[in-house]
Amino acid sequence: MSIVIADEPRVAAPPPPEPVVPRRNYLNTEYGVLSWLLTVDHKRIGILYLVSISAFFVVGGIAAGLVRLNLLSPTGAILTEDQYNRMFTAHGVVMLFLFLIPSIPAVFGNFFVPMMIGAKDLAFPKLNLASWYVFMIGAGFAVYAVLVGGIDTGWTLYPPYSSRSHTNVTPGVFGVFITGFSSIMTGLNIMVTIHKMRCPGMTWGRLPLFIWAMYATSFIQLLGTPVVAITLLLLLAERVGGVGIFDPAIGGDPVLYQHMFWFYSHPAVYIMIVPGMGVVSEILTCFSRKNIFGYKAIAWSSVGIAVVGFLVWAHHMYVAGIAYYSALLFSFLTMLVAVPSAIKVFNWLATLFRGSITFHAPMLYTLAFLVLFTVGGVTGLFLATLGTDIHLHDTYFVVAHFHFVMVGGMVLAYMAALHYWWPKMTGRMYSDFWSRASATIIFVGFFFTFVPQFVLGYHGMPRRYPNYPQEFQIYNVLSTAGASILGFGYLLPGIYLPLSLFFGVKSPANPWSATGLEWQCPSPPTTFNFDFVPVVVCGPYEYAIGVDQLGRGLPDPPGPGDAASPYRPVGPAGPIHKETEVVG
Amino acid sequence: MTTDTHKPDDPPTMHDVDKVGSLFVVYFVVLGLAVANILLAEFGHLGNLSLPVQLGIGTVQACLVAWYWMHMRRGDKVVTLTAVTALFFIFIFYVLVLADILTRWRAAI
Amino acid sequence: MSASTHSPVLKHHFDNLEQQHSAERLGMWMFLATEVLFFSGLFVAYTIYRHWYPAEFQFASSHLILWIAGLNTGFLITSSLTMTLAIRSAQQGNRSALIRHLIATAALGTAFMGFKAYEYATDVEEKFVPGWIFQEEYAEAVADLSEKDHSTAHAKHNPVRELAKLNLDKSVNDPGYISPQRVQLFLCFYYVMTGIHGIHIIVGIGCILWLVQQAYCGKIPRENYSTVEVVSLYWHLVDMIWLFLMPLLYLAGGGLKH
Repeated sequence: MSIVIADEPRVAAPPPPEPVVPRRNYLNTEYGVLSWLLTVDHKRIGILYLVSISAFFVVGGIAAGLVRLNLLSPTGAILTEDQYNRMFTAHGVVMLFLFLIPSIPAVFGNFFVPMMIGAKDLAFPKLNLASWYVFMIGAGFAVYAVLVGGIDTGWTLYPPYSSRSHTNVTPGVFGVFITGFSSIMTGLNIMVTIHKMRCPGMTWGRLPLFIWAMYATSFIQLLGTPVVAITLLLLLAERVGGVGIFDPAIGGDPVLYQHMFWFYSHPAVYIMIVPGMGVVSEILTCFSRKNIFGYKAIAWSSVGIAVVGFLVWAHHMYVAGIAYYSALLFSFLTMLVAVPSAIKVFNWLATLFRGSITFHAPMLYTLAFLVLFTVGGVTGLFLATLGTDIHLHDTYFVVAHFHFVMVGGMVLAYMAALHYWWPKMTGRMYSDFWSRASATIIFVGFFFTFVPQFVLGYHGMPRRYPNYPQEFQIYNVLSTAGASILGFGYLLPGIYLPLSLFFGVKSPANPWSATGLEWQCPSPPTTFNFDFVPVVVCGPYEYAIGVDQLGRGLPDPPGPGDAASPYRPVGPAGPIHKETEVVG
Repeated sequence: MTTDTHKPDDPPTMHDVDKVGSLFVVYFVVLGLAVANILLAEFGHLGNLSLPVQLGIGTVQACLVAWYWMHMRRGDKVVTLTAVTALFFIFIFYVLVLADILTRWRAAI
Repeated sequence: MSASTHSPVLKHHFDNLEQQHSAERLGMWMFLATEVLFFSGLFVAYTIYRHWYPAEFQFASSHLILWIAGLNTGFLITSSLTMTLAIRSAQQGNRSALIRHLIATAALGTAFMGFKAYEYATDVEEKFVPGWIFQEEYAEAVADLSEKDHSTAHAKHNPVRELAKLNLDKSVNDPGYISPQRVQLFLCFYYVMTGIHGIHIIVGIGCILWLVQQAYCGKIPRENYSTVEVVSLYWHLVDMIWLFLMPLLYLAGGGLKH
């Protein structure tokens, strides 16, 4: 059954008056470096993480750029083979452990989980600050290792090579080991907060989907990370002590390392993507002006991904010498994990269907996520299938698949989250034109970079090789050209977002007319988020009847022509209507 | 609520004070099991059964410690859920790694 | 009402003490879940190698020092008891008993580490350490044994030499040959497992001493007993892990006499 509610004006409840902008917010309550370094405010810690991982993103991006530049020529354009090995390892280690894993959980999870569930702070504020310090110490070791001397094993650090390589493996492994603790601390904090600190009325069925996604992510962080910690510790013991349990010389089994490593590192890709899915669920429904389709399905599919994601790791090892029977088993289980991901994509599409969609920067990034993640997910099935994987294993097909999911999926979701919540975090609006331009440029550049890699991989170009036959050059040149577009696209937010801090228009409390609790605080929020105890009366996405979670009406959404507010984009069509469909 | 007014028939709460006697009973049982474990291993000659017996004794000891000393018997449901989840994922870890190891072809070594 | 809204131990971001304490307990339990998975990696690896190399594991295990393990088990179980008694004292607001029980716990933990250190020292003296120490001793023992008169072979006695004697006149594929390489594999497990467990004990002792200091300064009033309980959860888990390590490492010999 479906009811179309389409009328105007149709106000279920009056929108709340614009909250008085408090003189003191979390940003100006204290000044000075120490007030940041010793803060226990979850919002400030989120900002600390934002700044640090942005720096690591630049480092990893430069390494990626050098790798791509080197691949312009079949014999290696600018780097020696050794330098090339070090460079792709630097790219992998920095991007995965220092950017992707902490990206959304540590920045937006820290910042918005307490606000979205109506809490004053995370459950353990000091632990939260400690997690940032631990992260920075670990990151210091890892960045030192990959930049000074370098590591040439690839980010997977497989023994026996990694225990014998004459490069800087020891500090690198140690750094990754330490950052793991920071990840556990963040996950534990968020998980306890969600369990214990929800405000009155915030039942599990009323949690925003971002919270469900963060819950699933924290679950993986808690259960997966310790296993990779012990694995890396054993690797360190082997490397430093000269004898260890993965050492084939004394009867050890290097494939066991791969089992233990991927027991974490495969679920780790869900640590990276599931928060992105949560962000997408928030943004899609807001910019479609429709209730989310299939709330329970999306919520439980997050948990489903978290659980099933633990059952699939050995698809990385089909050709590593594992048993045929277990390869078959893992192939089957890997197919299973596609189911919850697909459930999400279908529900998002159904949410978009007949919505009043506006294309602001967060939505553009989100739509790009949808396209790229779907391509990445479907090509993942080729790799999950035992037969085709033997052909595609360790080729650029894998590289392209992984980057579609991680860059096309996760990084775009991260950008979407950044653009969606930036007005709340900073109280300033960024340039509408430039943000839309950067979303478009990134999307185009991304396709140019990674579609040729599918072709390359299918024709058999192995990954991590600096040299290749002449006939592959055209694809590599295409890919590198795309990478430069992509790099330019990433550069733009690096310019207009900081500029918006100084020149941006002040943002109202709820610039996107969204329903979540975080929009009920002023922008930027005060130190304790809420001046009152919020009491939640309805679900998180009541766009159909136009009320927020406190049961109050929504301000007008930003349409492509609301000239009354200068920070809103101006377009020809006039303000959009709250046309909404309730299905079910 | 204070512990003084708490009647023995009420359902257990987090604020119950343990009885010293029950703590010592658990202590002697756990200690006795440890001694039994060592004696069985040294003089029992259980052969293939020894590992399951040893781990079984360990499990009983661990359950006693968790249930009585870590106060799981009066903890939140979510605490129990946490513990069960951790054990379940170890189970998955074991089963799927052993699925490979036990069916893998290995040359004579 | 034990949960006063203006209690000095209530942190600002919690609504009441009940919420604060249940959050602390849950946080510790979740941390324990990660600890268990941390050790599970070692247990899985151990299982595999024990399945592959039973004879070597049996030999090596039976040459560890059982009496120290047994004594240490007693120390740890007793320390768990005193820790639980400490919670009880905290609940009753009995500060001196709390401090007494905490110090007893820390002392028992220290005794554990002391005997552990003695055990390590003995192992090192016996060259029962994987890597070049073991290999050199083994090679020397083989060389000694191949001399006709065996005069120097009895000069020293340690597990490594015993292994060399056991393998005398056997080749790698003979039944009863105990591979010195795989004995080292067991020793890797022995040192890594007990080492990591020892680090956990040291951290635990540190936490308990911190509790003693807090209690001494009167910062653990009756309504805040859950601080003691949270530390005790950790201490009990470390104890529990030992209850599994002990049979796996020390009792794998299956009564093999030496």
